[in-house]
Amino acid sequence: MMILERIGTYFQMVFHLAADPLNILILLSSVMMGIMFGAMPGLTSTLGVALLTALTYGMDTPTAMLCLLSIYVGGTYGGSYASILINIPGTAASAATALDGYPLACKGEGGRAIGLTTTASAIGTIISMLFLVSISPLISFFALQFTSFEFFLLAFFGILISGTLTSPDLVIKGWIAGFLGLFLACVGRDQLQFFPRYTFGIAELDSGVEVVPVLIGAFGIPQIIQVLKDRFQIGETQKFQRILPEFGTIVRNIPRIIRSALIGVGIGSVPGIGEDIAAWVSYGTAKNTSKHPERFGKGEITAVLSTEVANNACVGGAMIPLLNLGIPGSPPAAMLLGALMLHGVTPGPMITFEHPTFIMEVAAILLLASLSMWVVGMLLAKQVVKVLRIPVQLFMPIIGILCIIGSYSLGLNIWNLYLMLPVGIISYFLIEMGYPIAPLVIGVILGPMADENLRRALMVSQGSFLPVFTRPVSLILFLVIVWTVVSQFPAYRNFKNKLMDKVFRRKSCEADFDIDGPEEG
Amino acid sequence: MLEKEKLRKADVYSGIIIFLFGAWVVWQASKMPMKDSWGGVQNVWFVSPALFPLFVGAMIMLLGLLLVRTALKTIGLKAFGDTLQWLFSKNLLQFLNTMSVLRFYAIAVLFLSLVYLYIPRIDFFLSAVLFLSVFILMFYFDEAELLKKLFFFYLAGTVFFIIYFAVGIDGLLGSVLPFAKDILTLGFILVYCLYAWKLIRGNPELRKKFRTGLIVAVVAPFVIGVIFKYFLLVPMPAEGMVVALLDAIWYFEF
Repeated sequence: MMILERIGTYFQMVFHLAADPLNILILLSSVMMGIMFGAMPGLTSTLGVALLTALTYGMDTPTAMLCLLSIYVGGTYGGSYASILINIPGTAASAATALDGYPLACKGEGGRAIGLTTTASAIGTIISMLFLVSISPLISFFALQFTSFEFFLLAFFGILISGTLTSPDLVIKGWIAGFLGLFLACVGRDQLQFFPRYTFGIAELDSGVEVVPVLIGAFGIPQIIQVLKDRFQIGETQKFQRILPEFGTIVRNIPRIIRSALIGVGIGSVPGIGEDIAAWVSYGTAKNTSKHPERFGKGEITAVLSTEVANNACVGGAMIPLLNLGIPGSPPAAMLLGALMLHGVTPGPMITFEHPTFIMEVAAILLLASLSMWVVGMLLAKQVVKVLRIPVQLFMPIIGILCIIGSYSLGLNIWNLYLMLPVGIISYFLIEMGYPIAPLVIGVILGPMADENLRRALMVSQGSFLPVFTRPVSLILFLVIVWTVVSQFPAYRNFKNKLMDKVFRRKSCEADFDIDGPEEG
Repeated sequence: MLEKEKLRKADVYSGIIIFLFGAWVVWQASKMPMKDSWGGVQNVWFVSPALFPLFVGAMIMLLGLLLVRTALKTIGLKAFGDTLQWLFSKNLLQFLNTMSVLRFYAIAVLFLSLVYLYIPRIDFFLSAVLFLSVFILMFYFDEAELLKKLFFFYLAGTVFFIIYFAVGIDGLLGSVLPFAKDILTLGFILVYCLYAWKLIRGNPELRKKFRTGLIVAVVAPFVIGVIFKYFLLVPMPAEGMVVALLDAIWYFEF
């Protein structure tokens, strides 16, 4: 009965949102803007969400969410245009799509590939939305049992896992980036005693480091510098014919779609890692399970399907920890968290009590955004790909101005600009030296949660760490953290290999003995 | 990202910097109240504001050390010595003079001057047009020699503005001539564009790029600025001549 009631409320929300023509207009224009951000190499959906957050400042929360989620969904999908047509991924999320999408476009099947990615992306988002609705109450229920120790460990785990999985070079660098983010979160007056930390007497630093300027600086400025410094050129766009929804191919590949969606939702829900990893894992799985792995990389349609379903399924997956635990599942979700806080919504276990219909509302928006994305993709793809012809030297400086006005307009504080630029330049050097930026941003976001909960937990236990080992969830989180750290050291890997060798050798000896045994007998 | 060997060499230095930074974080945290009273509250170590920064600083120090160790293990001490030698040789100067590094300087100087010099003092629309026209014309021509000349021209103008504000000429001139700094900026934009035109006028392809670049540089700030100022009601960081004119048009204040 309760499920039926929830489904009823959900569809009521969908119709309520869709009934307002202004909402439809915002939905379509935001999706379109997201697709453009995703399609233009050098721009990402994270940057799109970050820059557009400033524009939603004056909107009410549902409209702002409608706008930002549509950009997120559109941006994740839009990356496939550049991947398929010019072999340059519009976003990291669509890098795997380029492997087979571009060969398809070269064969003259670009329209087919775009049609398929459009339908696949919409299906991926819808499946992830179903997971968001069904899993959220369960996670919320468990999260309500969490105490300060669990929240501290969860925040710490989020930073560590994000550092581990997003580092393009050494894992240590990912962790360093995460801890640098945690340091930035320490700046300002502390939440419990209002003691000024690392403020150097500057009044503007008392309220701490604002998340949005850090996000815009960390993601926007390095992007502009990299693209223009390395004289990035957009190649020749492949021509394509009519775009078809490819329903036949979709129906034939339902098991693959479900598998890719599960991969996307699963990876999306792990804190800090996003669409790019989901797409690669899905691509790898599709190749390993295919009857014709040799066709991969030469224009295999199932490869394009798998990556696009997975990266868009990540959107809903990333919403699960974001809404229920207050921990962003991906970099654009981190930006959404900042936007939600600006609008007075604090995601976490209490969200179901403070805003009982909010998760349903987000799910309704995701459904509408995926449908709009499909419509825009099918009807306007030919027009949208024209943005690929704009030289980067023309639009990157404009992005620079958007970064500046976006950082300033949130809080109308020029200090945000003074902060945004050094963060951006330092982030550029960190990226050049192989440090990932996502953990740094996740660190800034989760820092206050980790700090406050650690001290609150110790206050309750009077300085004892024993509850970490006596509370089951804490213990599990603690063991996972220890394993995440220890598993990165060569000594652990050597030990594991030796152990495995011993176990398997013994097993094979036993097997030999078993085989030989009866013969001797 | 750098190549693997170069990356490991850089890791030694970044690791040392990170270690030192971590040590500074710990040192600063050690000055925070651990057991003393703050605001009438008697502290104990586990609620001290220093607890979390101490943990974070210690972890940064540890990870910095681990990074140095890993990098040295890969490249060896000799390679570290070679890099140190390179840093004090002519090769460093040659590297700093490469086109790629010059492009970085140009972008960094443009952003730094916009954020710290122009945006807080000069009308937003003019600052943005200056930034975009310089940025676009510098990079859109896609010629190293032109970029160099335009960059140094802009740098000279920026140095003039730094002196103008630092010495206090703005205060003197501003009392005599309204919007003096805005008029000067407008003049700078015009002179810069004329200089760029002089450099490229013989090349029809670059002339076309000049026109396109200039249109984008003027139109974009007005589209973005008007949305923020009049639709989202965001007051600009500095409002001067152009904002006064736009206000007059928008609110029919003639």
